[in-house]
Amino acid sequence: MKTTVVGSYPKPKWLLRMIKLHKDGKVDDKVMDEAYKDAVKAVVKDHEIAGVDIIWDGEMRREEMTSYFAERIDGFVIYGEVRVWGNAYYPKPSIVGELRYRDELAINDFLYLRSITDKEIKVPITGAYTIVDWSFNEYYPSKEEAVYALAEVLNKEFRELVKVGAKYIQIDEPAIPTHPEEIEIAKNAVEIMVKGVNAYIGMHMCYGNYRAIFPEILDFKVDQIDFEFANRNFEDLAILKEYDYDKDLGFGCIDVHSRRVETVEEVKKAIYMALEIVEPDQLYVDPDCGLKLLPRDIAFEKLKVMVQATNEVRKELGIAE
Amino acid sequence: MEVIATVVGNYPRPEWFREYLRKVEGLQKDLDVEIERDVLKKAIAEVIDEQKRAGIELFTDGQLIWHDFLLTIASRLEGFEMNGLVRYFDNNLYYRIPIAKGRVKRTKKILYDFEIAFEIEKNIKAVLSCYTVAKLSRNEFYSKFEDFLWDICKAVKEEIEELERSGVKYVQIDEPALLYAEKKELEVLRDVYRELTNTKMETILMTYFDSAERIFPEVLDFGFDVIGLDFVEGYEENMNIVKEYDFDAINLGLIDGRNTKMESLEDLKGKFEEITSKGNFKKVYISPNTGLEFLPSIKAFEKMQLIAKLKEVVE
Repeated sequence: MKTTVVGSYPKPKWLLRMIKLHKDGKVDDKVMDEAYKDAVKAVVKDHEIAGVDIIWDGEMRREEMTSYFAERIDGFVIYGEVRVWGNAYYPKPSIVGELRYRDELAINDFLYLRSITDKEIKVPITGAYTIVDWSFNEYYPSKEEAVYALAEVLNKEFRELVKVGAKYIQIDEPAIPTHPEEIEIAKNAVEIMVKGVNAYIGMHMCYGNYRAIFPEILDFKVDQIDFEFANRNFEDLAILKEYDYDKDLGFGCIDVHSRRVETVEEVKKAIYMALEIVEPDQLYVDPDCGLKLLPRDIAFEKLKVMVQATNEVRKELGIAE
Repeated sequence: MEVIATVVGNYPRPEWFREYLRKVEGLQKDLDVEIERDVLKKAIAEVIDEQKRAGIELFTDGQLIWHDFLLTIASRLEGFEMNGLVRYFDNNLYYRIPIAKGRVKRTKKILYDFEIAFEIEKNIKAVLSCYTVAKLSRNEFYSKFEDFLWDICKAVKEEIEELERSGVKYVQIDEPALLYAEKKELEVLRDVYRELTNTKMETILMTYFDSAERIFPEVLDFGFDVIGLDFVEGYEENMNIVKEYDFDAINLGLIDGRNTKMESLEDLKGKFEEITSKGNFKKVYISPNTGLEFLPSIKAFEKMQLIAKLKEVVE
């Protein structure tokens, strides 16, 4: 039984200011790089104080989860932003040529994090299906072909990550539950992404109708699936029970859409519910999703509660911390 | 045969207006705050001007404050409450689902933004919707869907009458959900649409995201002056419709409003000629298949230019 995070963490306010100054050309790349590294140190310290077992760098350098990767892969261009709902927009990439590996995506972030902490590390990267689903396709004859081409690119990154010491990679695929009819494509893409990758593989999915992806999702070639449960009052646990869920479970038990900090008692209760489905050594306790939209102090408090609840359950069950 | 370059409805918001909305409305679910009329007018004027510069001939107001796409209409009617986010057809776009909690009534103008646009430009289409609003909402009040639909129809009808009184010449009814209506529903829908199309304005039925084979031939009896078909998503099926049925005026959704890829003019011209040679049209509108808000603004503009170029080469 371990505690972890999904990936993102609120950026320190001073970092947001620095990013703006850098965009406006008032701060050079070298200073900006130092700022990012200092921000990662601050975030790691928050996680260490909270007592999280498996951490990431809070995604200080990532603005969002599609274009950050698209900008670093040959074949993508970004013409501008499109609306998702209300007043929310994202830079939607277009695939205009053959997708090819160009720059590292998370290797430098991993290496830096490795150099400043002894904690176990998880590397989250948006999956091929989701990036393509959230992009325009001008080049490939079908979405399927674009997904597989991108999966090959990510496979190369995953292999490189393993070479430099990464042991735990998380594929973020929030788009999968939004297209249950294409689950076969997503499944094949995962197989391409993890081919020859000697690491523990998790897959994170938030939002969407989980029922629509069962039981097919159980055949995905991943060690763990990470779901959000708190957002929907843990009702979705019933689906896992129904289908005899047998992979390791990433157990989202902290609501990232609410500023209310959960009580230790309610998180403990949730953990016990999860333990009705998987064994303690299959359970990874984490928040529903990245914490980046919360105020930093609340995100920190939520992590502390999550860890404390896990520790108390461990004690009650006689499991070592 | 008269050929007219037009657009379907929504358009990317000007960047400064996007920032403005973000500031006054925030990012959360409680949108729909009062927007200063002058600010909205400036934004709409800009979008109409872009259409003109691109060579479009019949305009729309760009639906700049339609946060919830066609479901925005529900947000402006009494009886509805806007709730959690739901996916808008097969797009990576979300709208707040309207829930009918009481009798649906029109207590104020639905298209107050169009009214502003009409002050700026007279050659412009008002856009409304009826069945799609009913279908994509959740009804917690009426025991029969049909009663729910009729009350929405009445509200939309009142709006249409007011538009007509103000001197508006064109009203477009967008009905993507109609493409999935069941056959047995079409009889009621005929009465609903006959009510809506009973006006002196030119009435355009706009369908998109799919082919329209399932609503033919019934739809020919709905009273619309112009029928709009999506020739990006349903080329083959819609081609068969054109071959099989006779109607005077059509809107050809020829350019993909949901992909940044630019079509070749030659290819578009070929499609235009193939379609129009099979029908017997007096009037042909050419447009993207959908609104252009699905695209980054630079590409939305290029797509409009392409429509204008197509009009030049086919005339």
